[in-house]
Amino acid sequence: MKVENLLNEIREANLSYLILAQNMLRADRAEALVRLGLSEEVARIIDQLTAGQLLKIAASNMLMCRFRFDDSLVWNLLLSHTRGAENAQAAGMHAAILMTGNAIEAVV
Amino acid sequence: MKKAKTVLGEARQIALASDLIHLGARLQVLESETSLSRERLLKLYKEIVGKSPPKGMLPFSTDWFMTWQPNIHSSLYINLFQSLNRSSELDEIEVVIHAYRMYREYVARLKMPEVLSVTRAWRLTRFFDAGMLTSTACTECGGNFVVHTYELTGGYVCGLCDMPSRAGKTRANRMAAYADAENESTEVALAG
Repeated sequence: MKVENLLNEIREANLSYLILAQNMLRADRAEALVRLGLSEEVARIIDQLTAGQLLKIAASNMLMCRFRFDDSLVWNLLLSHTRGAENAQAAGMHAAILMTGNAIEAVV
Repeated sequence: MKKAKTVLGEARQIALASDLIHLGARLQVLESETSLSRERLLKLYKEIVGKSPPKGMLPFSTDWFMTWQPNIHSSLYINLFQSLNRSSELDEIEVVIHAYRMYREYVARLKMPEVLSVTRAWRLTRFFDAGMLTSTACTECGGNFVVHTYELTGGYVCGLCDMPSRAGKTRANRMAAYADAENESTEVALAG
């Protein structure tokens, strides 16, 4: 991928991510904070961004979102290499518990 | 308990009560969390559900939360509850409703039965408040799980890292799997 294309894609990803975050925060703040793993302070800033400000921030060369679950166990559970529906469900629950536990750390 | 002295206050209480009823809460939960009279709650319950609320006492044991499947469902709920509680300044009962809705989303996506009812979820929150139950980190995976407060949790390993051999093989699950197989075979028969 050419650098120019890459930067364009980063901008697009940033913009959709910021708009999604803003919509989530406006629809249900409490749930959005947990789903996004965001602090109240940053949430307040994102909530109040104007369209112009959103575009400006999205145009950064850095991605504004990042991988939240830096634990290979979570990824393996989500891929669930296990056999049988029951095991897959258990793996799904296990991943959910790890991810929601992680949400607490991110918020504090 | 907050007293509903104004009309708006009462409207809010009714909205809260009806949210809880829609989630399937028992009457005792409503009585404890709203300031509406028992008669009004009964009426509201009948209007929403279309029948009288079930009678009898609420389940009061902490042991239910320790059995394999309930423990996993309760742990997911309590993780959601705690992260919602820390990040927002909602009343506790509002947090219960939010956390329970999010719990239901997870369970629905995994096509699992709702093992934890909203009444149990509320009860669990109360047990945490009273210090009878708490959560601890599994030494293998690091996830938070519901445990008795005075249990020795030195080398705690959760029920998902150390699965009992018969775990999850409940009668309800077998019946569901059987029903799925039935459906598939009829679909095949119809397609054929």
